[in-house]
Amino acid sequence: MLDMALTTGVMHVTVGNVAMWLIGLFFIYLAIRKNYEPLLLIPIGFGILIVNLPLTFLMEQGRGLLWRFYHYGLEWEIIPPLIFLGLGAMTDFGPMIANPKTLILGAGAQFGVYVAFFGALILGFNVREACSIGIIGGADGPTTIYTTVRLSPHLLGATAIAAYSYMSLVPIIQPPIMRFLTTEKERKIVMKQLRPVSKREKILFPLVTVMVICLIVPASAPLMAMFMLGNLFKECGGVRRLSDAAANELMNIVTILLGISVGATMSAEHFLKLQVICVFVMGIVAFAFSTAAGILLAKFMNLFSTEKINPLIGSAGVSAVPMAARVSQAMGSEADPKNFLLMHAMGPNVAGVIGTVVAAGVFIALAG
Amino acid sequence: MIDWGLAVKICFFGLSAVFGSLALLIGAIYAFEKILKILEKRLN
Repeated sequence: MLDMALTTGVMHVTVGNVAMWLIGLFFIYLAIRKNYEPLLLIPIGFGILIVNLPLTFLMEQGRGLLWRFYHYGLEWEIIPPLIFLGLGAMTDFGPMIANPKTLILGAGAQFGVYVAFFGALILGFNVREACSIGIIGGADGPTTIYTTVRLSPHLLGATAIAAYSYMSLVPIIQPPIMRFLTTEKERKIVMKQLRPVSKREKILFPLVTVMVICLIVPASAPLMAMFMLGNLFKECGGVRRLSDAAANELMNIVTILLGISVGATMSAEHFLKLQVICVFVMGIVAFAFSTAAGILLAKFMNLFSTEKINPLIGSAGVSAVPMAARVSQAMGSEADPKNFLLMHAMGPNVAGVIGTVVAAGVFIALAG
Repeated sequence: MIDWGLAVKICFFGLSAVFGSLALLIGAIYAFEKILKILEKRLN
């Protein structure tokens, strides 16, 4: 009788397992009830739940189903580049091409990455771990996952959850920082309407970008190349089927595999550690500094520019597309209901994605 | 033991690469814009 009971999972449940079930269920609750990144938090939460069921061996090396998803999808670096292909097919670089200066704001918002990087080192993480934690500040989930899998796979669950949690919390985290660093007068700055961007420019952009960025930081090529290929599909207009597939069906499939693979890395023995709390703390530090740096850089640019930039768009330099741009718009219209900043904020927003990929490429090249 | 030398190198090269590549991209966008305008004028 006892032997039979021992073959069931019930007899092997630990306190850690129960804690992880609660965490998994909490993520599912947040996703369904609060609508926080539901596309990711539901598969991640479900992954956490099932990987912490004893004797299921879903993450057993070479045999477990979730291990196969994780191994061939993430360790083989297939899923994050495919997500970037879909992102490229959904991204409009028009606002950035119309006002290329906003690229600098996307670069400025990467400061938080390095603040968190040094913060993590001070907390006792090694260089590779600090790189994975720092990149959370870029607010780009797939890049965070890609960097962590390359540099410190044992932190994957924590960094991925931190990145996606903070991305969904952008409307809560950013506004107080934006209010603190800008005056009412600055928030009311009205920006000139963007010029129309021709189709030819939009087609040339991904080709130029992939060459420039990959020549400077070759390690960023897997993400950048797929990002720009997806965008070329979208802008050229001749391959609508490929563009639609990349932005919809493929994106949905890889999102399921990504979510469940990330959740599967969060077994009790890997996740319930002090280290994970430190990752979350440094993640929010990174996010806050990235937001602040973008705003301060916009203010700095205003010292030398005749055409003033509304500093609120600087905070959109953290990637979280398009949430961060929407926050800039909301804050701008709060100060002046006639002020429309959304399209202006999309420039630094998409530039932030490129900036984060470059930062990740340097981390991988130097610490990998 | 933390390798602070590597950390500083990563930070320095990282920020340089981020700003450098995006600045180059700005230059490339402006240059292409100019070239396109010239080409369009000639074609017209």
